[in-house]
Amino acid sequence: MSQTITIDPVTRLEGHGKITIQLNGKGEVEDAHFHVTQVRGFERFSAGRPFYEMPSLMARICGICPVSHLLASAKACEAIMSVRIPHTAAQLRRVLNLAQLVQSHALSFFHLSSPDLLLGMDSDPATRHILGVAAANPKLGLAGIALRRFGQSIIELLGGKRVHPGWVVPGGVTEPLDAAKRDKILAMIPGAYTNIGLALDAYKQIADKFKAEIEIFANFPSNYLGLINDDESFEITDGALRLIDAKGKTIEDGITASRFTEVIGEAVEPYSYTKFVYYKPLGYPGGCYRVGPLARLNIVKSICTPQAQKELAGFKQLASGPVESSFYYHHARLVEALYGIEKIEQILADPAILDKHVRATAGVNRLEGAGQIEAPRGTLNHYYKVDENGKITWANLVVATGHNNNAMNKGVLQAAKSLVKNGKFTEGALNRIEAVVRTFDPCLSCSTHAFGQMPLIVTLLTADGEVVDRVARN
Amino acid sequence: MRNSKPIRCLILACGNTTRSDDGVGPILAEWAAERFRDNAHVRVVSRQQWTPELAEEVAAADAVLFIDGSVNSAPGHVQLVAVEAAAGDLGAATHHVDAPELLGLTRALYGSPSAQAMLLTIGVGSTEFGESFSEPVNAAIPGARGVLEETILRFLEN
Repeated sequence: MSQTITIDPVTRLEGHGKITIQLNGKGEVEDAHFHVTQVRGFERFSAGRPFYEMPSLMARICGICPVSHLLASAKACEAIMSVRIPHTAAQLRRVLNLAQLVQSHALSFFHLSSPDLLLGMDSDPATRHILGVAAANPKLGLAGIALRRFGQSIIELLGGKRVHPGWVVPGGVTEPLDAAKRDKILAMIPGAYTNIGLALDAYKQIADKFKAEIEIFANFPSNYLGLINDDESFEITDGALRLIDAKGKTIEDGITASRFTEVIGEAVEPYSYTKFVYYKPLGYPGGCYRVGPLARLNIVKSICTPQAQKELAGFKQLASGPVESSFYYHHARLVEALYGIEKIEQILADPAILDKHVRATAGVNRLEGAGQIEAPRGTLNHYYKVDENGKITWANLVVATGHNNNAMNKGVLQAAKSLVKNGKFTEGALNRIEAVVRTFDPCLSCSTHAFGQMPLIVTLLTADGEVVDRVARN
Repeated sequence: MRNSKPIRCLILACGNTTRSDDGVGPILAEWAAERFRDNAHVRVVSRQQWTPELAEEVAAADAVLFIDGSVNSAPGHVQLVAVEAAAGDLGAATHHVDAPELLGLTRALYGSPSAQAMLLTIGVGSTEFGESFSEPVNAAIPGARGVLEETILRFLEN
C-alpha cells in the first residue's frame, strides 16, 4: 500500500513549509516535495501606492532580510526616477547590506544549522537547538550571538532600527554618517573577526564528519546565478548577473535589472505557493539553477578582501569545477560573512564615507523600473510599473527562495531516496531531509507572492485519511 | 533607550503594537523608560520578540523584569510571577525565545543568570490588527504601571 510521510512543519527555517515523501507499495520513495504553505500578497496590495513608499512597504515582507528588500526596492524606484545616487550613498547602502549579510548568515549557521552540525543529526530533538549548542560549546554559542549582534547593531546605527530599518529612500539615504557612529562600528570589527574565525575553525573541524550527508544533500550538477563585478570578483550590492553551467562555463553574462524579465521566467507547481524560477532560453525545468552563497562562490574568480580571498581559494579546492553539494552552503556562508566584516572595515576607512551629499531627488521620469541585489539567500529582483502620477500599477518580486525552489525539491527527493528504505525511516533520517532545505537557508515569508490565479486543489479526507472529495482550480 | 552605565535592573518587553492588546508590553516599557529616564541603573529594551541575542543584556543585569501580554490569562488580568531558567530540554525556537528559555540560554552562555527575574503579564483580549487596546486592557494599564514601578523600585533597593 502506498504511503505518504509528512514532515510538518519543517523546523529551524524562516517561514512555514512542509515536506511530503510519497512511497510506493514496496516502501520505496517515488517522489518528494517541499511545500511552502504561506501566502503574503505584497505585490497585490501595493497596487495604488505611491512608488516612493515601496521600499518601506517591501521591507516588511521579512524580518530577517528587510535590508535586501529595502535596497532592491529603492533601486527599482531610482530607475523610475532615472537618477544615479551619490557615491557616498551607494557606499553607505553597501555597508548596510554587508551588515545584514553577516547577521543573517550568523543566524543561519549558528541558530538554525549548528545544532545539527555540532550536536549531530541524530541527537535528541529535545536538545537539538540553540540552547543545546550553548550548553555543549558556550564559546561558539557566544560567537554566534556576538556576530548577529554585530550586524544588527550596525543596521540599528545606520537605519535607526534592527528590524525594518528606515534610512534607505529612493535617491539615496536620508542622512549622512557621522564620525561618532563610524568609530562605533569600527570598534566592533576586531571582535567580529575573532568570532567568525571561531566559526570557520569549528566548521572545518566538523565538516569531515558529514561525508555521508555531503554525498546526498542536493548534490548534483546545476547552473548557478549571481552578481559579479566586471573584474569577476565577488559583489552583492551592484552590477549585473552571470549565469554559469555545471562545468563553470558562462551561459549568459551582463544580466542587468532591466533585462531580468527578458531572460528569467517563473513557473507554478500545484503543491507550493512559491514559484519556480528558471532561465527562459533553457525552459523549465532545464533552465533552473541555484543562487546564494554556494552559487556566488562558484561564479566569482576572486574576492577583493585578503582573508576572504584566502578562504575562497580553500573553498575552490573542494572540487575541480563548481562545488556541487548544497552541504557546502554552510562553508560558503562563513566565507561571505568574513568578507562582509572585511569590506565594512575597508569602506569605513575611506574619509569620503562621511560626505554630506547622500541623496538625489527627482520625480517620475520612466513608467517602469527594476532593481536587483544579492540578498543573503541569493538574487533578489524587484520590478515595478507606475502611472504618470507615480502610483504603482504592477509589482513583481523574484526572490532567492524561488530561484532555489527546484533545487530544494530535487534535494529533498535525493535525500529521501537515500534515507527511506522499505518504508522505514528514523527520526534522524527525517531531520536530515529537513537539513537539506536548511542548507539553502530559504526565506519562505519572502518567497510567496501572488501572480495571476494560483492553481489550487482542495482534498477532503476522513479522520482515517480516506479521500471523500476533491476540487481543483486551474 | 540605551546608556553604558552598569545596569542593575533590565526591563525587557515584547509585543507587536499593530496587533491591538499584544502591544501592551511595549506601551508599558515606553512608560518605564520615561519614568526612570534619569536613573542610570535602569535599562529598558522593547522588542517585537525576545531573541537569543538578548542573553548578553540579561547577563549584565542584577535583575530582569520581563513584560508581555498573555493569552492564557483573563483579559486585563495583571500578574507578576518569578521566572526560573529553563532546563535544556525545552524545545527552543530559533527566532524567538520565552523568558525561561532566555534565562536558560544566559546561564548556558554566561554561567550566571540574573539574581532575580520576574515576569509581568497582562491578559490580552484582542490580537486583531489595530493600534488601540481592548476595554479590559485599557482599564488594566494604570494598575499594571503601579506594579511595574513598585517592582523596579524594589529591585533597585536590593
